[in-house]
Amino acid sequence: MDTLVRQLSRPAVPVHGEDDEAYGNAAEWGSMGGYGNLSRTGAISGMTVPRVLDPISFLATHTDNLSTNPEAKIKLAHGTTCLAFKFRGGIIVAVDSRASAGSYIASGTVKKVIEINPYLLGTMAGGAADCQYWETYLGIRCRLYELRNKERISVAAASKILTNLVYQYKGMGLSMGTMIAGWDKTGPALFYVDSDGQRIKGNLFSVGSGSTFAYGVLDQGYSYDLSDEEAQDLGRRSIIAAGHRDGYSGNTCNLYHVRENGWEFIGNYDVSQEWYKYNEKEKKALEHAGKAGVQGGSPMAVEA
Amino acid sequence: MARRYDSRTTIFSPEGRLFQVEYAMEAISHAGTVLAVLSKEGIALAAEKKVTGKLLDLSLAPGGQMGGEGNQAWLGGGGEKIFLLNNNILAGLAGITSDANSLVNFSRNAAQQHLFTYDEDIPVEMLVQRLCDMKQGYTQFGGLRPFGVALLYVGWDSLHGFQLYQSDPSGNYSGWKATCIGANHSSATSLLKQDYKDDLTLEEARSLCLKTMSKTMDSTKLGSEKLEFATMTLDPKTKQPLAKIYRPNELDALLRQLELGGTSDDQVGVGEATGGGGGDEGNVAMST
Amino acid sequence: MGDCSFGITGKDFVILASDMNAGRGIIKMKSDENKIRALGPHLAMAYGGETGDTEQFTDYVERNMRLYHIRNHNALLPPAASAWIRRQLAQSLRSRKPYAVNLLLGGFDTTTSLPHLYWIDYLGTKADIPYAAHGFGMYVALSTMDKWWFEGMPKEKGVELLRKCINEVQSRIVVQFNFNCILIDADGVHQLDLSASDPIADLSRAPEKAEVEVPNPIIAAPA
Repeated sequence: MDTLVRQLSRPAVPVHGEDDEAYGNAAEWGSMGGYGNLSRTGAISGMTVPRVLDPISFLATHTDNLSTNPEAKIKLAHGTTCLAFKFRGGIIVAVDSRASAGSYIASGTVKKVIEINPYLLGTMAGGAADCQYWETYLGIRCRLYELRNKERISVAAASKILTNLVYQYKGMGLSMGTMIAGWDKTGPALFYVDSDGQRIKGNLFSVGSGSTFAYGVLDQGYSYDLSDEEAQDLGRRSIIAAGHRDGYSGNTCNLYHVRENGWEFIGNYDVSQEWYKYNEKEKKALEHAGKAGVQGGSPMAVEA
Repeated sequence: MARRYDSRTTIFSPEGRLFQVEYAMEAISHAGTVLAVLSKEGIALAAEKKVTGKLLDLSLAPGGQMGGEGNQAWLGGGGEKIFLLNNNILAGLAGITSDANSLVNFSRNAAQQHLFTYDEDIPVEMLVQRLCDMKQGYTQFGGLRPFGVALLYVGWDSLHGFQLYQSDPSGNYSGWKATCIGANHSSATSLLKQDYKDDLTLEEARSLCLKTMSKTMDSTKLGSEKLEFATMTLDPKTKQPLAKIYRPNELDALLRQLELGGTSDDQVGVGEATGGGGGDEGNVAMST
Repeated sequence: MGDCSFGITGKDFVILASDMNAGRGIIKMKSDENKIRALGPHLAMAYGGETGDTEQFTDYVERNMRLYHIRNHNALLPPAASAWIRRQLAQSLRSRKPYAVNLLLGGFDTTTSLPHLYWIDYLGTKADIPYAAHGFGMYVALSTMDKWWFEGMPKEKGVELLRKCINEVQSRIVVQFNFNCILIDADGVHQLDLSASDPIADLSRAPEKAEVEVPNPIIAAPA
């Protein structure tokens, strides 16, 4: 009884050290309370942080997610190319499938697109485990949102959940560079989210060690008005280009297309086979253009 | 029957009443009257002192150095009824003195906390809300007694200018043009209702305030030994709020001018024996 | 730090401008990211600094400003808002994980009809000044503002000065910048279209001009 009285009477004398403190517990009265093992802040109770005074600097001495600390015991090797862009026909998502650990190719058949739900895709760059774990968790949160609110979560909200999550662990060694793509009430939506806590909305992104090479093809071939076939080809071609140039990317390309009624898996393509196919095709096209050029009397052709 | 519902503040009676809170309000309606009148030029605030007596030594009490203007109002402190809560806010209290001290302390803290975070004087209504949030808490949590204090708040802020609020033990508060708490508050309020005009000058507000007070109080002649008085105005030069708690001699002069009494000079006690120090003539009349 | 932002006060207004780059390392992933946030009917800030921290801190400030507005029926005035924001950064600096965010806070005080501009950095330094810059702008355009800013500037002159500053960073800094710009006056926060020949005239013509999301720009070329 005494403890009960103490519990009840405690809030009557609010602590007025902090300005906002007096209202700080208000959320616990309402519907913001945790569900199951999901706490109010959204952190999973299973994800523990080292119990030291300063977990951030402790982890910084033992992990090496930025590849800047050769002394670290835990090394996170990563190499990837992912891309996604919006266009008239929806969103194209294309990724490679190589998992590397330093100079060693650990796997050539990795699924780097994480199918969060039928309307949401996430891509994976950085630590594979981090991406897989947190994007699966994001899937849980999105499903719970659906159950509670009887409507699908927006891409903006889903990506915000992920950013807020990784921001809680900022500086503790998480390594993720991900794109969240999907279709909601507002139409197609694409966000880039990384482990720094950055979250940007955009029309075209590429992430990973091969992203520079992918950008090189993607930027030059991109237009909002591409047809579905052209867009799919551009996504594929860009991954092939990156897989060819970047030692840490390659093997195969997985291609997805997001439309109003959800995403569709278009196909899996072997990078080297495609590279030579494209080479052949482009050579032919060039020869064709060359002939046309001579006939047309273009200055380039005359010089050649 | 009643006993079952009035021993705890947290329990409603079958008629839906909180007896403890009502008793607290009842206690206040026996306390010294506090009365305030709002005008466009400033606010006048008067309070009836109950604790008086020839042998009472007030020289070292908070009101011992009573009175002053602006910073002097801080240094001089208040009396037993009127306190400066912040540069821009004065309060008149009616009820249990010790409870009042606790509330004054709380609100001064809240005002300083606001100054610390926002680098500005706390808006009047916000301070009232802070205090009322706390008072409300004591009507809801078990084992605690509500504050037996009602307050009039008199203040100025840049958003709403001069403001007058009243709050009671339940944590309710409201804004007024002229109002009164304590003994005879209902008759004083009806007097104010009759005489209040929207375009009062400060001069008229002061006079209305004290005249109503004289009609409400038992004693026929008013004097500084039975009364505290303060105004909140704007400094004509800086346009910043200026609180003035009247020194006893200043108040007596004002009362004489309004022909409401005022202890005459020869009656002022030889109170210098209480060792007020500083030589302010204001000290003297307190020990009457 | 690749950020760049400017603030200019005038007779009855304050202008804020910020670069629009977002990316990672040497890669620019976006050149049309809005890095100015409206915090109230007459208050806004341009922010930069550590990625992640910027958004989180700005969200935090925005929600607290809104909360204050809801609780007290009045938005915080610029001087009080600046004091609050400064205090948050100062407290954060002594925490385990400080926010590394620099910002320019612009506002219009409706009670005094005066514009305010505050330069605030992640250490909790606050300066109340008539014109200011953060990031690259501090190196090349502060002198430009020293030279051309004058007391009681009209809006047109303010825009003219901002254009000088933007021109200076675009010609002297290796990084390419696009700028987005707002103006706050007695009527509230307005988007300024710097590509228009006379953005101020456009302002009076369409004060409620909503910003339309253009589907096309990937990395726009500098103006």
